[in-house]
Amino acid sequence: MAPKKELQLGYALAIVLIVVGVLSFAGYSAKIPDPPLRMIYHTNAGKVLFDHQTHLAADRYGLACADCHHHPEGEDNTMACGACHGGPERHEAIAETCNECHDPDFYDLADVSKRSDAFHDQCIGCHRQFDAGPVECSACHVL
Amino acid sequence: MSDAKFIVSHAPYVHDGSSIAARHYQVLLALVPAAAAGVLQWGQPALAVICLAVGSAIAWELGFTRLARQRPSIGNGSAALIGMTLAMLLPATVPWWLVVTGTFLAVIIGKQIFGGIGANPFNPVVVAMAILGLSWPRLMDFDAMLLAYDPGFAMIEPLTAVKAFGAATAEQFGCLDLFFGRQAGAIGAPFGIWLVLGGLYLTVCGVVRWQIPAAFIAGVFVTATAFHMADPARYAGAGFHLLTGYTLIGAFFLATEDSSSPVNFWAMLIYGFVGGLMTVLIRNIGAYPEGVIYAVMIINVINPLVDKIRPRALGKVT
Repeated sequence: MAPKKELQLGYALAIVLIVVGVLSFAGYSAKIPDPPLRMIYHTNAGKVLFDHQTHLAADRYGLACADCHHHPEGEDNTMACGACHGGPERHEAIAETCNECHDPDFYDLADVSKRSDAFHDQCIGCHRQFDAGPVECSACHVL
Repeated sequence: MSDAKFIVSHAPYVHDGSSIAARHYQVLLALVPAAAAGVLQWGQPALAVICLAVGSAIAWELGFTRLARQRPSIGNGSAALIGMTLAMLLPATVPWWLVVTGTFLAVIIGKQIFGGIGANPFNPVVVAMAILGLSWPRLMDFDAMLLAYDPGFAMIEPLTAVKAFGAATAEQFGCLDLFFGRQAGAIGAPFGIWLVLGGLYLTVCGVVRWQIPAAFIAGVFVTATAFHMADPARYAGAGFHLLTGYTLIGAFFLATEDSSSPVNFWAMLIYGFVGGLMTVLIRNIGAYPEGVIYAVMIINVINPLVDKIRPRALGKVT
């Protein structure tokens, strides 16, 4: 191929591919399904990959949403755990105390554990109860 | 690039009658099956990454040559190949700016600032991947980036799973599944079957010499087998290491980059074997689950040294 033709091929490739690439990025993206298949938590003790689908599927653990998502009556039962179980560190930029925003009569603030404690209690508690699933730190946390 | 002077490096040379551009387009062609398999498996996001990576790599090269008042070099296919190879190593769902940053790092930092094609001491794609991996580890994490996919096989990155949970985890991944790309991973790197066929095509065409990929694979095989025999509960076997992560794309497409790899027979064997050995050492006793990127960087460093192992000149008197 003559150098001039090679150069023209380079220009053509660049223009076509950038246009297709930009349009593809703008028009299509991999959407996380609802309910999610898997969830990943980045923690101080490494990442945790949680297989949500396995817990939900009827032919696997077959759990109902409310088995894990325990919300006040009337609330959307698919709200994120961290929405309540944020702990002080989640809100400290907004307010110094919970009662600045939340009604103390609505729920007992002392019962709302921070997210990591809630997850540990929920996951390990259930795994122990049914004698299934990991309970050791290193069985979930990947450093 | 100025053609006022034609600087010739020292012997030996390999002549096959082709041009630089033809070689690059042949390598691009060899990557197309793996790229197509990636698009089929990961969908439109993979196509977006591939197109933007190749297009932006060419654009960066064009921009640099314009800025440096050099003749445009995008026709030789080097930039397109860099973009394509980088795309093969990225997760399908990376953001657009990471793709563009990656091609900038590869084309400008990895190649052009060293003097352009033929002058880069490291494989430009490997340089970019190392920087991206250190700078945005969560965006380069396949477990975190592929949460939207349910392709019907275990969607946990195999190397991460084995490093964290032990060799028994490897049993959930069948060798054939791994070879055909049924594993969580990059856009093109998991498809061993297409990478091997592409690599063999390049070997037959004379673009890649067999010594480097063969020695690389032998290095992985021997080292992984030794680890597995020493502690089977902790270290996965050779088959697992050969078929996961970047091993096969590393052996055929990363370690064999023209400028950063040796040309002498024994030098190529040593270079390739050390690459395979370092890959498994990093995976098994290093901090990272994947070792190919840093292993290739290391052998790129030793390339000028091992390439001094050359045949004695005919008639030379010591």
